Amino acid sequence: MAGKTRARAAEAEEVDQADITMEDAPPSAQKPGYSQEEGSAMQEDEGEENDVAGEEEEEEEEEEEEEEPQRVRILPGSTETAASFEFLKEGHTLGNALRYIIMKNPGVEFCAYTIPHPSEDKMNLRIQTYDTTTATAALAKGLQDIEDLCDVVADEFWTQRDKFNAAQNK
Amino acid sequence: MDYDNMMLDGESLGPTVKISAADSTHVDFELTNVDLSFANSLRRVIQAEVPTIAIDLVEVEVNTSVLADEFVAHRLGLIPLDSREIDQLNYTRDCDCENSCGKCTVQLTLHAKCTSDEVMKVYARDLIVGIDRPNNHIGNPVITDPDGLGSLICKLRKGQEIKLNCIAKKGIAKEHAKWSPTAAVGFEYDPHNKLHHLDLWYETDAATEWPKSKYADWEEPPAEGEPFDFNAVPSRFYFEVEGAGNIEPDAIIQEGIKELQKKLAGLIHGLGENDGMNGDYDGPRSPDAMDGGVGWQDQGYTTPYGNAGNASAWGGGAATAYGTTPYGNSGGGW
Repeated sequence: MAGKTRARAAEAEEVDQADITMEDAPPSAQKPGYSQEEGSAMQEDEGEENDVAGEEEEEEEEEEEEEEPQRVRILPGSTETAASFEFLKEGHTLGNALRYIIMKNPGVEFCAYTIPHPSEDKMNLRIQTYDTTTATAALAKGLQDIEDLCDVVADEFWTQRDKFNAAQNK
Repeated sequence: MDYDNMMLDGESLGPTVKISAADSTHVDFELTNVDLSFANSLRRVIQAEVPTIAIDLVEVEVNTSVLADEFVAHRLGLIPLDSREIDQLNYTRDCDCENSCGKCTVQLTLHAKCTSDEVMKVYARDLIVGIDRPNNHIGNPVITDPDGLGSLICKLRKGQEIKLNCIAKKGIAKEHAKWSPTAAVGFEYDPHNKLHHLDLWYETDAATEWPKSKYADWEEPPAEGEPFDFNAVPSRFYFEVEGAGNIEPDAIIQEGIKELQKKLAGLIHGLGENDGMNGDYDGPRSPDAMDGGVGWQDQGYTTPYGNAGNASAWGGGAATAYGTTPYGNSGGGW
């Protein structure tokens, strides 16, 4: 993959030169016979020029990248405040409750979940936050909030059970 | 326990539970001031994810009964076994042992032969439970009938014999329903259908044709001509948990909540470990800001005006306010 990526970068340079003469032309009009990939590479390249700071941040993220099977993963294409998470072996049990509790977080603009395909044991969660927090932080808070809610409900259930039993034995 | 009550719907009272009936196999309770999603999570978790023990492997030595081996094995699997304090038992897949051991399995044996002219009935009480187990009740067949017989396994005629060895393992109902701690879970809210979550079919009048829920008296019926409140959310949930006998009903709820918390704790742990992974990957992608799903790449057609696709005089595929687009693969971080 890395090799392929480098090759594309080279192509992107080539495209960039072509761009000197055809500044704002769309990829389809650049040169006859351009493939989709090349076209997108060019666009990516222009993007880099315009947002160097953003690119540096993303490079840092790549260094942490680890190819291990893990329960939660951020899907590529996510940013700090707008991210999609992929949960393995989770379903509606967690998804809907998590969606609700994250939506309750005032720093969160949007949260939704989906099970993309019923025969894949995966659950995707989308979080978009305001600038006050990050998507990952909102997810961590959401998980912690449900855990605390569980504590409260478990406690309440057990005290009511004891009360009920006491009343029955009278 | 710093759960913020302000997060909840309702009058920030916090969740409350009211138990209306309970016995050795049932518990009926009302859960209030939680969201539908949480109440449903609780229902789902107690139905499918509370671990119990059930017969999973059967070695048949002799079976001259009229039932096929696999038929008997299936019946054995469905016998409820005492699953109290299941925490003391490991999942076989997590256990250190090779195949099975006393820390992750319970052995049960059955040997019955009919010698009389009458039909012999073989019951769950005839299962002999092995001694190598974490405590002296786990894996016992659940016997609740007054005669102390337990579930009927098979019937034998004169000369027929059944001899087998069973290995019971810990599992959850998501894998197989035999591991279910519950026989049924009733889950109900909004008995007057004020929220219109149901669209009741009727001939002439839904109110008279549909039977009233037993919880209808617990809530105010809608006033005559009351306008539909489209902002209303359910907040009172009526549970009727019926246990299968392997765990007490109150413990099922407790274990269910515990199981939900284990799930969350596992995820919190996993999230702390690794959360930067925006790398190269061919699978699903996060929808990128402002991309609208299409348009960054050549769409496969062009117009004679050389201005196809989304690229326009506004700057082609250049960056949006959200920075570079992650589509395509630059040599950079994406």
